[in-house]
Amino acid sequence: MTEVPLKVEHDGKWVVIKASVSEDRITFPEPIDKEILFKSIFDMEEKKSVLVLMVKGNPDAIIRIASVEKVLVVLKRLILAGCNAYRLMAYFMSPAIRGGVLAKNAQWEKGSIVVVKTGIWFVSAAKQICVPLTDVAAIELTKREVQGKQTDIVRIDHVESGEVVSSLVLCPLSTLQVLANFLKDATKGIDMAGNELDSVDQQVAMLVYSGMDSHAIENMLNIPHKQLDEIYDRIIKLGIAEVIIIRREVQLTTKGVRYISDATKTQTN
Amino acid sequence: MGTILIVDDTLFMRTLLKNILFSGGHSIAGEAANGEEAVAKYKELKPDLVTMDVVMPKVNGIEALKAIKQLDPAARVIMCTAVGQEQMVKLAIKTGAKGYIVKPFQAPKVLEEVKNVLAS
Repeated sequence: MTEVPLKVEHDGKWVVIKASVSEDRITFPEPIDKEILFKSIFDMEEKKSVLVLMVKGNPDAIIRIASVEKVLVVLKRLILAGCNAYRLMAYFMSPAIRGGVLAKNAQWEKGSIVVVKTGIWFVSAAKQICVPLTDVAAIELTKREVQGKQTDIVRIDHVESGEVVSSLVLCPLSTLQVLANFLKDATKGIDMAGNELDSVDQQVAMLVYSGMDSHAIENMLNIPHKQLDEIYDRIIKLGIAEVIIIRREVQLTTKGVRYISDATKTQTN
Repeated sequence: MGTILIVDDTLFMRTLLKNILFSGGHSIAGEAANGEEAVAKYKELKPDLVTMDVVMPKVNGIEALKAIKQLDPAARVIMCTAVGQEQMVKLAIKTGAKGYIVKPFQAPKVLEEVKNVLAS
Protein backbone atom coordinates (compact mmCIF):
# COMPACT_ATOMS: atom_id res chain seq x y z
CA MET A 1 0.00 0.00 0.00
CA THR A 2 1.23 3.47 -0.89
CA GLU A 3 -0.27 6.68 0.42
CA VAL A 4 -0.88 9.43 -2.12
CA PRO A 5 -2.21 13.00 -1.63
CA LEU A 6 -5.49 13.53 -3.48
CA LYS A 7 -8.42 15.88 -3.73
CA VAL A 8 -11.65 13.96 -4.04
CA GLU A 9 -15.08 15.43 -4.68
CA HIS A 10 -17.36 14.57 -1.78
CA ASP A 11 -20.89 15.96 -1.33
CA GLY A 12 -20.19 18.70 -3.88
CA LYS A 13 -16.94 19.84 -2.21
CA TRP A 14 -13.29 18.98 -2.80
CA VAL A 15 -11.80 17.14 0.16
CA VAL A 16 -8.03 16.80 0.65
CA ILE A 17 -7.10 13.29 1.77
CA LYS A 18 -4.30 10.74 1.73
CA ALA A 19 -5.58 7.72 -0.14
CA SER A 20 -4.04 4.26 0.08
CA VAL A 21 -3.31 2.70 -3.28
CA SER A 22 -2.37 -0.90 -4.03
CA GLU A 23 -2.19 -2.97 -7.22
CA ASP A 24 -5.92 -3.69 -7.22
CA ARG A 25 -7.67 -1.03 -5.15
CA ILE A 26 -7.76 2.49 -3.79
CA THR A 27 -8.98 3.30 -0.30
CA PHE A 28 -10.28 6.71 0.71
CA PRO A 29 -10.22 7.48 4.48
CA GLU A 30 -12.80 9.56 6.41
CA PRO A 31 -14.85 11.56 5.56
CA ILE A 32 -15.26 9.58 2.33
CA ASP A 33 -14.53 6.16 3.84
CA LYS A 34 -14.73 4.10 0.68
CA GLU A 35 -12.74 1.29 -0.89
CA ILE A 36 -12.83 0.92 -4.66
CA LEU A 37 -11.61 -2.19 -6.42
CA PHE A 38 -10.11 -1.30 -9.79
CA LYS A 39 -12.05 -4.14 -11.42
CA SER A 40 -15.28 -2.36 -10.46
CA ILE A 41 -14.26 0.72 -12.49
CA PHE A 42 -15.80 0.51 -15.96
CA ASP A 43 -14.98 3.98 -17.25
CA MET A 44 -12.31 6.62 -16.76
CA GLU A 45 -12.08 10.07 -18.32
CA GLU A 46 -9.52 12.79 -17.78
CA LYS A 47 -10.72 16.39 -17.87
CA LYS A 48 -8.12 19.06 -17.16
CA SER A 49 -6.15 17.15 -14.52
CA VAL A 50 -9.31 15.67 -13.01
CA LEU A 51 -9.86 11.92 -13.28
CA VAL A 52 -13.50 10.93 -13.51
CA LEU A 53 -14.12 7.31 -12.55
CA MET A 54 -17.36 5.40 -13.08
CA VAL A 55 -17.69 2.64 -10.53
CA LYS A 56 -20.09 -0.28 -10.78
CA GLY A 57 -22.52 -0.41 -7.89
CA ASN A 58 -26.10 0.03 -6.92
CA PRO A 59 -26.39 2.71 -8.12
CA ASP A 60 -23.20 3.29 -10.14
CA ALA A 61 -20.97 5.96 -8.57
CA ILE A 62 -19.00 8.78 -10.14
CA ILE A 63 -15.73 9.63 -8.39
CA ARG A 64 -13.77 12.77 -9.27
CA ILE A 65 -10.10 12.87 -8.28
CA ALA A 66 -7.57 15.65 -8.69
CA SER A 67 -3.89 15.61 -7.85
CA VAL A 68 -0.47 16.53 -9.15
CA GLU A 69 0.55 15.08 -12.52
CA LYS A 70 3.02 12.61 -10.96
CA VAL A 71 0.33 11.02 -8.76
CA LEU A 72 -2.28 10.97 -11.53
CA VAL A 73 0.15 9.18 -13.88
CA VAL A 74 0.63 6.38 -11.34
CA LEU A 75 -3.10 6.18 -10.57
CA LYS A 76 -4.06 6.06 -14.24
CA ARG A 77 -1.54 3.30 -14.91
CA LEU A 78 -2.84 1.17 -12.05
CA ILE A 79 -6.50 1.76 -12.88
CA LEU A 80 -6.04 1.09 -16.60
CA ALA A 81 -4.19 -2.14 -15.80
CA GLY A 82 -6.93 -3.39 -13.49
CA CYS A 83 -10.24 -1.84 -14.57
CA ASN A 84 -13.12 -3.56 -16.31
CA ALA A 85 -12.24 -2.90 -19.98
CA TYR A 86 -11.35 -4.41 -23.35
CA ARG A 87 -7.56 -4.57 -23.18
CA LEU A 88 -4.83 -5.72 -25.54
CA MET A 89 -1.06 -5.52 -25.73
CA ALA A 90 0.07 -3.67 -28.84
CA TYR A 91 2.50 -1.30 -30.40
CA PHE A 92 0.98 2.10 -31.04
CA MET A 93 1.89 5.47 -32.51
CA SER A 94 -0.18 8.33 -31.12
CA PRO A 95 -0.34 10.92 -32.51
CA ALA A 96 0.96 9.72 -35.90
CA ILE A 97 -0.68 12.35 -38.13
CA ARG A 98 -2.02 15.70 -36.95
CA GLY A 99 -4.03 17.93 -39.31
CA GLY A 100 -2.67 16.07 -42.33
CA VAL A 101 0.97 16.48 -41.31
CA LEU A 102 2.91 13.45 -40.13
CA ALA A 103 3.81 14.06 -36.49
CA LYS A 104 7.48 14.82 -35.98
CA ASN A 105 9.39 12.26 -33.90
CA ALA A 106 6.41 9.89 -34.00
CA GLN A 107 7.52 6.39 -33.14
CA TRP A 108 6.08 3.00 -32.29
CA GLU A 109 5.69 2.48 -28.56
CA LYS A 110 5.17 -0.80 -26.77
CA GLY A 111 2.19 -0.75 -24.45
CA SER A 112 -1.48 -1.53 -24.33
CA ILE A 113 -4.76 -0.30 -25.73
CA VAL A 114 -7.51 -0.11 -23.14
CA VAL A 115 -11.06 0.54 -24.32
CA VAL A 116 -13.38 1.73 -21.55
CA LYS A 117 -17.02 2.82 -21.84
CA THR A 118 -16.35 6.27 -23.27
CA GLY A 119 -12.78 6.24 -24.50
CA ILE A 120 -9.74 4.50 -25.92
CA TRP A 121 -6.58 4.77 -23.83
CA PHE A 122 -3.12 4.36 -25.33
CA VAL A 123 -0.88 3.34 -22.46
CA SER A 124 2.89 2.94 -22.42
CA ALA A 125 5.58 3.36 -19.77
CA ALA A 126 5.94 7.00 -20.81
CA LYS A 127 2.40 8.13 -21.64
CA GLN A 128 -1.32 7.63 -21.20
CA ILE A 129 -3.38 9.22 -23.94
CA CYS A 130 -7.18 9.10 -23.99
CA VAL A 131 -9.27 9.43 -27.14
CA PRO A 132 -12.97 9.91 -26.28
CA LEU A 133 -15.16 7.61 -28.39
CA THR A 134 -17.39 10.60 -29.20
CA ASP A 135 -14.40 12.27 -30.89
CA VAL A 136 -13.52 9.25 -33.06
CA ALA A 137 -13.96 10.20 -36.71
CA ALA A 138 -12.79 6.99 -38.43
CA ILE A 139 -11.51 3.50 -37.75
CA GLU A 140 -9.80 1.58 -40.50
CA LEU A 141 -7.97 -1.72 -40.77
CA THR A 142 -5.26 -0.85 -43.28
CA LYS A 143 -1.60 -1.41 -44.13
CA ARG A 144 1.53 0.62 -43.40
CA GLU A 145 5.19 0.05 -44.09
CA VAL A 146 6.82 -0.95 -40.83
CA GLN A 147 10.54 -1.76 -40.92
CA GLY A 148 10.38 -2.14 -44.69
CA LYS A 149 7.42 -4.55 -44.65
CA GLN A 150 3.76 -3.90 -45.48
CA THR A 151 2.06 -4.58 -42.17
CA ASP A 152 -1.57 -4.66 -41.05
CA ILE A 153 -2.48 -1.89 -38.64
CA VAL A 154 -5.60 -0.17 -37.31
CA ARG A 155 -5.82 3.59 -37.90
CA ILE A 156 -7.98 5.56 -35.48
CA ASP A 157 -8.78 9.17 -36.44
CA HIS A 158 -10.19 11.52 -33.86
CA VAL A 159 -10.97 15.21 -33.70
CA GLU A 160 -8.98 17.23 -31.15
CA SER A 161 -9.38 21.02 -30.93
CA GLY A 162 -10.74 21.07 -34.48
CA GLU A 163 -7.82 19.05 -35.87
CA VAL A 164 -7.98 15.50 -37.12
CA VAL A 165 -5.41 13.37 -35.31
CA SER A 166 -4.57 9.83 -36.43
CA SER A 167 -3.21 7.11 -34.15
CA LEU A 168 -1.92 3.75 -35.38
CA VAL A 169 -2.12 0.38 -33.62
CA LEU A 170 0.03 -2.60 -34.50
CA CYS A 171 -0.51 -6.16 -33.22
CA PRO A 172 -1.31 -9.60 -34.71
CA LEU A 173 -3.91 -9.41 -37.51
CA SER A 174 -6.53 -11.49 -35.71
CA THR A 175 -6.36 -9.12 -32.71
CA LEU A 176 -6.49 -6.10 -34.99
CA GLN A 177 -9.67 -7.42 -36.59
CA VAL A 178 -11.27 -7.89 -33.18
CA LEU A 179 -10.15 -4.37 -32.16
CA ALA A 180 -11.43 -2.79 -35.39
CA ASN A 181 -14.80 -4.55 -35.06
CA PHE A 182 -15.08 -3.69 -31.38
CA LEU A 183 -14.32 -0.02 -32.02
CA LYS A 184 -16.62 0.14 -35.04
CA ASP A 185 -19.38 -1.29 -32.92
CA ALA A 186 -18.66 1.16 -30.08
CA THR A 187 -18.76 4.10 -32.50
CA LYS A 188 -21.38 2.93 -35.00
CA GLY A 189 -23.28 6.19 -34.67
CA ILE A 190 -20.69 7.88 -36.88
CA ASP A 191 -20.99 5.44 -39.82
CA MET A 192 -22.57 6.67 -43.07
CA ALA A 193 -23.64 4.76 -46.15
CA GLY A 194 -21.36 6.85 -48.35
CA ASN A 195 -23.96 8.00 -50.84
CA GLU A 196 -25.55 10.77 -48.78
CA LEU A 197 -23.53 13.54 -50.42
CA ASP A 198 -23.20 14.45 -54.09
CA SER A 199 -19.86 15.58 -55.50
CA VAL A 200 -20.40 19.29 -54.78
CA ASP A 201 -21.54 18.50 -51.22
CA GLN A 202 -18.37 16.42 -50.77
CA GLN A 203 -16.21 19.25 -52.07
CA VAL A 204 -17.88 21.65 -49.64
CA ALA A 205 -17.31 19.20 -46.77
CA MET A 206 -13.66 18.85 -47.79
CA LEU A 207 -13.23 22.64 -47.87
CA VAL A 208 -14.86 23.01 -44.46
CA TYR A 209 -12.48 20.32 -43.19
CA SER A 210 -9.55 22.32 -44.57
CA GLY A 211 -10.68 25.40 -42.69
CA MET A 212 -12.23 27.46 -45.50
CA ASP A 213 -15.05 29.89 -44.59
CA SER A 214 -18.28 30.41 -46.55
CA HIS A 215 -16.90 33.29 -48.58
CA ALA A 216 -13.83 31.29 -49.67
CA ILE A 217 -15.98 28.24 -50.50
CA GLU A 218 -18.37 30.29 -52.67
CA ASN A 219 -15.43 31.76 -54.56
CA MET A 220 -13.55 28.50 -54.95
CA LEU A 221 -16.51 26.47 -56.17
CA ASN A 222 -18.12 29.41 -57.93
CA ILE A 223 -21.50 28.74 -56.34
CA PRO A 224 -24.06 31.30 -55.11
CA HIS A 225 -24.65 31.83 -51.40
CA LYS A 226 -28.12 30.27 -51.60
CA GLN A 227 -26.73 27.00 -52.98
CA LEU A 228 -24.03 26.87 -50.33
CA ASP A 229 -26.65 27.51 -47.67
CA GLU A 230 -28.69 24.54 -48.95
CA ILE A 231 -25.59 22.32 -48.88
CA TYR A 232 -24.86 23.47 -45.32
CA ASP A 233 -28.45 22.54 -44.39
CA ARG A 234 -27.92 19.03 -45.81
CA ILE A 235 -24.60 18.38 -44.08
CA ILE A 236 -25.87 19.80 -40.80
CA LYS A 237 -28.96 17.57 -41.02
CA LEU A 238 -26.69 14.55 -41.59
CA GLY A 239 -24.83 15.46 -38.41
CA ILE A 240 -21.47 15.89 -40.14
CA ALA A 241 -21.23 19.62 -39.56
CA GLU A 242 -22.46 22.15 -37.03
CA VAL A 243 -23.04 25.89 -37.08
CA ILE A 244 -20.29 27.76 -35.25
CA ILE A 245 -21.03 31.33 -36.34
CA ILE A 246 -23.78 33.18 -38.22
CA ARG A 247 -22.28 36.04 -40.18
CA ARG A 248 -24.47 38.93 -41.44
CA GLU A 249 -24.26 40.98 -44.64
CA VAL A 250 -25.76 44.47 -44.41
CA GLN A 251 -26.41 47.45 -46.67
CA LEU A 252 -26.55 51.10 -45.65
CA THR A 253 -29.88 52.82 -45.00
CA THR A 254 -30.55 56.35 -46.27
CA LYS A 255 -29.27 57.61 -42.95
CA GLY A 256 -26.10 55.62 -43.41
CA VAL A 257 -25.59 56.83 -46.96
CA ARG A 258 -26.00 60.43 -45.78
CA TYR A 259 -23.53 59.84 -42.95
CA ILE A 260 -20.90 58.44 -45.31
CA SER A 261 -21.50 61.24 -47.85
CA ASP A 262 -21.08 63.87 -45.13
CA ALA A 263 -18.01 62.17 -43.75
CA THR A 264 -16.44 62.05 -47.22
CA LYS A 265 -17.19 65.75 -47.72
CA THR A 266 -15.57 66.60 -44.38
CA GLN A 267 -12.49 64.61 -45.32
CA THR A 268 -12.13 66.17 -48.78
CA ASN A 269 -12.76 69.78 -47.68
CA MET B 1 6.69 34.30 -46.83
CA GLY B 2 7.70 32.83 -50.16
CA THR B 3 6.75 32.17 -53.74
CA ILE B 4 5.24 28.75 -54.17
CA LEU B 5 4.63 26.43 -57.12
CA ILE B 6 1.59 24.22 -56.60
CA VAL B 7 1.64 20.85 -58.36
CA ASP B 8 -1.50 18.70 -58.33
CA ASP B 9 -3.51 17.03 -61.07
CA THR B 10 -6.85 18.18 -59.68
CA LEU B 11 -7.98 21.78 -60.03
CA PHE B 12 -9.88 21.44 -56.76
CA MET B 13 -6.79 20.61 -54.70
CA ARG B 14 -4.75 23.31 -56.45
CA THR B 15 -7.43 25.90 -55.68
CA LEU B 16 -7.65 24.74 -52.08
CA LEU B 17 -3.88 24.93 -51.59
CA LYS B 18 -3.79 28.31 -53.32
CA ASN B 19 -6.37 29.67 -50.86
CA ILE B 20 -4.59 28.23 -47.85
CA LEU B 21 -1.21 29.61 -48.97
CA PHE B 22 -2.68 33.02 -49.83
CA SER B 23 -4.27 33.19 -46.39
CA GLY B 24 -0.79 32.61 -44.93
CA GLY B 25 0.61 35.56 -46.88
CA HIS B 26 2.49 33.53 -49.51
CA SER B 27 2.56 34.31 -53.23
CA ILE B 28 1.70 31.71 -55.80
CA ALA B 29 4.47 31.51 -58.41
CA GLY B 30 2.43 29.18 -60.59
CA GLU B 31 0.54 25.91 -60.91
CA ALA B 32 1.22 22.62 -62.68
CA ALA B 33 -1.10 19.69 -63.31
CA ASN B 34 1.53 16.95 -63.73
CA GLY B 35 5.17 16.20 -63.04
CA GLU B 36 6.39 17.14 -66.50
CA GLU B 37 4.77 20.56 -66.27
CA ALA B 38 6.13 20.93 -62.73
CA VAL B 39 9.74 20.53 -63.85
CA ALA B 40 9.25 23.01 -66.72
CA LYS B 41 7.57 25.55 -64.41
CA TYR B 42 10.28 25.12 -61.79
CA LYS B 43 12.97 25.95 -64.39
CA GLU B 44 11.00 28.97 -65.54
CA LEU B 45 9.77 30.38 -62.20
CA LYS B 46 12.44 29.36 -59.67
CA PRO B 47 9.95 29.34 -56.75
CA ASP B 48 11.04 29.31 -53.10
CA LEU B 49 9.03 26.17 -52.50
CA VAL B 50 7.03 23.50 -54.36
CA THR B 51 4.02 21.57 -53.05
CA MET B 52 4.03 18.34 -55.02
CA ASP B 53 1.26 15.76 -55.29
CA VAL B 54 2.62 12.20 -55.42
CA VAL B 55 0.14 10.47 -57.71
CA MET B 56 -0.21 12.30 -61.03
CA PRO B 57 -0.48 11.38 -64.70
CA LYS B 58 2.49 11.45 -67.14
CA VAL B 59 5.32 12.02 -64.65
CA ASN B 60 4.48 11.29 -61.01
CA GLY B 61 5.52 13.43 -58.05
CA ILE B 62 8.53 11.32 -57.06
CA GLU B 63 9.96 11.43 -60.60
CA ALA B 64 9.33 15.17 -60.81
CA LEU B 65 11.02 15.64 -57.42
CA LYS B 66 14.08 13.76 -58.70
CA ALA B 67 14.23 15.95 -61.81
CA ILE B 68 13.85 19.17 -59.81
CA LYS B 69 16.57 18.10 -57.35
CA GLN B 70 18.88 17.43 -60.32
CA LEU B 71 18.20 20.93 -61.61
CA ASP B 72 18.54 22.52 -58.18
CA PRO B 73 19.84 20.41 -55.27
CA ALA B 74 18.70 23.12 -52.82
CA ALA B 75 15.07 23.01 -54.05
CA ARG B 76 12.50 22.93 -51.24
CA VAL B 77 9.73 20.47 -52.03
CA ILE B 78 6.83 19.41 -49.81
CA MET B 79 5.13 16.20 -50.92
CA CYS B 80 1.33 15.84 -50.67
CA THR B 81 0.25 12.24 -50.18
CA ALA B 82 -3.17 10.74 -49.63
CA VAL B 83 -4.01 8.78 -46.50
CA GLY B 84 -2.58 5.29 -47.01
CA GLN B 85 0.35 6.47 -49.13
CA GLU B 86 2.57 7.45 -46.21
CA GLN B 87 5.07 4.80 -47.29
CA MET B 88 5.76 7.03 -50.29
CA VAL B 89 7.00 9.62 -47.80
CA LYS B 90 10.12 7.59 -47.03
CA LEU B 91 10.96 7.38 -50.72
CA ALA B 92 10.29 11.09 -51.17
CA ILE B 93 12.50 12.02 -48.20
CA LYS B 94 15.28 9.79 -49.60
CA THR B 95 14.88 11.60 -52.90
CA GLY B 96 15.24 14.98 -51.20
CA ALA B 97 11.77 16.20 -50.18
CA LYS B 98 11.95 18.62 -47.26
CA GLY B 99 8.49 17.95 -45.86
CA TYR B 100 5.22 16.15 -46.40
CA ILE B 101 1.54 16.69 -45.81
CA VAL B 102 -1.19 14.07 -45.89
CA LYS B 103 -4.52 14.72 -47.64
CA PRO B 104 -7.07 15.68 -46.51
CA PHE B 105 -5.16 18.44 -44.81
CA GLN B 106 -6.04 21.38 -42.57
CA ALA B 107 -4.91 24.93 -43.29
CA PRO B 108 -2.98 25.70 -40.08
CA LYS B 109 -0.93 22.53 -40.37
CA VAL B 110 -0.12 23.16 -44.04
CA LEU B 111 1.03 26.70 -43.22
CA GLU B 112 3.12 25.43 -40.32
CA GLU B 113 4.86 22.88 -42.55
CA VAL B 114 5.44 25.48 -45.28
CA LYS B 115 6.90 27.88 -42.69
CA ASN B 116 9.22 25.17 -41.33
CA VAL B 117 10.45 24.18 -44.76
CA LEU B 118 10.96 27.78 -45.89
CA ALA B 119 13.00 28.38 -42.74
CA SER B 120 15.17 25.31 -43.35
